[in-house]
Amino acid sequence: MHKLLMVIRREYLDRVRKKSFWFGTLLLPLLMVGLVVVQILLADVETGRQRKVALVDATGRLAAAFEAKLAEEKSKDGPPLFLVESVPVDSDVEEARQKLEPRVLSGDLFGIVTVGPDLEEGSNFRFYARSVGNIFAQKTLQRALREAVVGLRLERSNLNVGAEELKKLLSPVEMESFEVKAEGQAKKRGFDEAYFGTFAFVMVLYMALLLYGVAVMRGILEEKSNRIMEVLLGSLTPDQLMAGKILGIGLVGLTQMAIYVVSAAFLRLYVGIAALQAGWTGALDAISPLNMTYFCIFFLLGYFLYTSLFAAVGAVCNSEQEAQNLQSPLIMCLVVPMVMTFFFVANPDSPAAVVASLIPLFAPMVMFMRITVLTPPFWQIALSIALLLATIYFFFRGVARIFRIGVLMYGKRPTLPEILRWARG
Amino acid sequence: MESAVSLRNLVKTFGEHRAVDGITLEIPRGILFGLIGPNGAGKTTTIRMILDIIRPDSGEVAVLGMPAGEMVKDRIGYLPEERGLYRKTKVLEMLEYLGTLRGASPSAARKEASAWLDRLDLGSWKSRKAEDLSKGMQQKVQFIGAILGKPDLLILDEPFAGLDPVNQNVFKDLMLELNRGGASIIFSTHQMDTAERLCKEIALINRGRIVLNGPLSQVKSRFGKNSVLVEFEGDGAFLRGLPCVARVDDYGRYREVRLIDGANPQELLQAAVGRVAVRRFEIVEPTLHNIFLEQVGGQAADA
Repeated sequence: MHKLLMVIRREYLDRVRKKSFWFGTLLLPLLMVGLVVVQILLADVETGRQRKVALVDATGRLAAAFEAKLAEEKSKDGPPLFLVESVPVDSDVEEARQKLEPRVLSGDLFGIVTVGPDLEEGSNFRFYARSVGNIFAQKTLQRALREAVVGLRLERSNLNVGAEELKKLLSPVEMESFEVKAEGQAKKRGFDEAYFGTFAFVMVLYMALLLYGVAVMRGILEEKSNRIMEVLLGSLTPDQLMAGKILGIGLVGLTQMAIYVVSAAFLRLYVGIAALQAGWTGALDAISPLNMTYFCIFFLLGYFLYTSLFAAVGAVCNSEQEAQNLQSPLIMCLVVPMVMTFFFVANPDSPAAVVASLIPLFAPMVMFMRITVLTPPFWQIALSIALLLATIYFFFRGVARIFRIGVLMYGKRPTLPEILRWARG
Repeated sequence: MESAVSLRNLVKTFGEHRAVDGITLEIPRGILFGLIGPNGAGKTTTIRMILDIIRPDSGEVAVLGMPAGEMVKDRIGYLPEERGLYRKTKVLEMLEYLGTLRGASPSAARKEASAWLDRLDLGSWKSRKAEDLSKGMQQKVQFIGAILGKPDLLILDEPFAGLDPVNQNVFKDLMLELNRGGASIIFSTHQMDTAERLCKEIALINRGRIVLNGPLSQVKSRFGKNSVLVEFEGDGAFLRGLPCVARVDDYGRYREVRLIDGANPQELLQAAVGRVAVRRFEIVEPTLHNIFLEQVGGQAADA
């Protein structure tokens, strides 16, 4: 027991004492918060800028309505966001547009909206710009154009509708989404919020499992390549060494997670007020105390599962280059659920999601995703945790056997069937 | 008093290869014991089984009167042949860690390691990283690592390999000092002259078996006084053709000639006088080196 503690002590102190640990630990949350803040600031600056748009209208009757609609789009107490320049069409819409293109290229015009003579035709309305990536601006223009065109259509159908009336008719139908919770209160929540809130934590989970798994593997490879392994094994059993390493590095991980959880709590306190005002409660749900508890549980389970496998890779390889091949299936197992976050968040109850959240290799990430978006039945959570624990137990036993043989082997890397034979003992 | 190490019918195979093939050996307490043998003879495998780093397929290992394993590990100091240091770790921290692994508290281990570093002139390097040390200094640090915690049994696998003469002397003096302090010391080597100068008893291992075992003086007398050192001027090729000669080892300046059993050294002298100018003719015990070569022959294990 004393020896195990001493190994844990060394592995922990050796890492926590390093400047790079604190640098990485503090930088990541700062970076994440910073990115969000910078994006919001940038978006504010961008949307606050006035843009000039040319309207090439073959019907010649939309300009007034279009301009009036766009004039409503203002940044906070600023001038209108869009200035409309109505361009008369002499003969052909195309011709008029082409004349304007140099001004688009020079940046004088943000874009050109063209309207052909036939309002019913599918490709009658077009938008030309140097970049068509600004979805927000395009949506605004489209909305204004739609209202102007619908007004014109109504007029042509001889339905006399006033401006006020028209606005009512066109008022958008938007659904607000609510999450039905077992606790009885349905919660207002949108997909974007659910997705981004969950994704941020799945990202952290993914990075933590990968980084610490690789840290354990590297530690073992280092001890092998520095030829210090046998010095240690003179005093330690391989099991003590492996367990000490995994627990010590696990404590480093927990320290880091604790720092993240605390900073998330601060985020909830300070940013929370702003987020509430913006109606972004969904993102905050992801850092509720219950979710953080599950986060820690699944982090730990995933940690033990994956580090035991990474430890096995370290034990049978001689160098990091050699380890690359063997570790890639492990990394794939981590990448797959992360890449599929979108699907799992959209369909947390689908059979695929349920099955994936029970398969131990995927469970830590997938079950956590499902918990943050829907609170699955408790038996599923319990089963998933039980399966994870059982798998961890078997992996540890097998890996301990591999470790005992592998750590003293230098030279040729054993083949996969050989490794499996060792694991069976 | 029970033996320092007692091995019974020890067998260990790796795949098809029988690395240790039925070794039975008693190593008494309190002496310097040499485990000699060619590369791949099974010395390191035997040592690893004594330390319970690997388990034998069959046979028994008793160390200091106890079965090998957890219970007795703290009383053994071990310097493996493949030894290293954490390159990025400070010297004193590294030794503190190794000390704690033998049961000491961090502060006690630190104190002891610090004292040893001072004694071996490494006092000013305590807070330097291992990678900053010269090779000779690293070897000293590794040696300190093995002797922390005053082990009752010290096992050194090729302790002198790669050492410069100065460090060889430092190591040798420390080994003798610890031995006088009561520690049993087992070391493996294929430097026969070192073994001959230091060991009270030896075991010669070849191809996983004990070929020779016992106190050095007995081992040597078993081979009798039928070796001759001859120093001469002229062509010595004729020596190999003489009927009384078993083998000839050319050392450049002189030759060691081993006679067949029962042969009279005078025959050799007479034959030599007629052909070359003899400057020295001395009847000696065979050197361990020669016994080794004779036993292991040209057919040392290939590994």
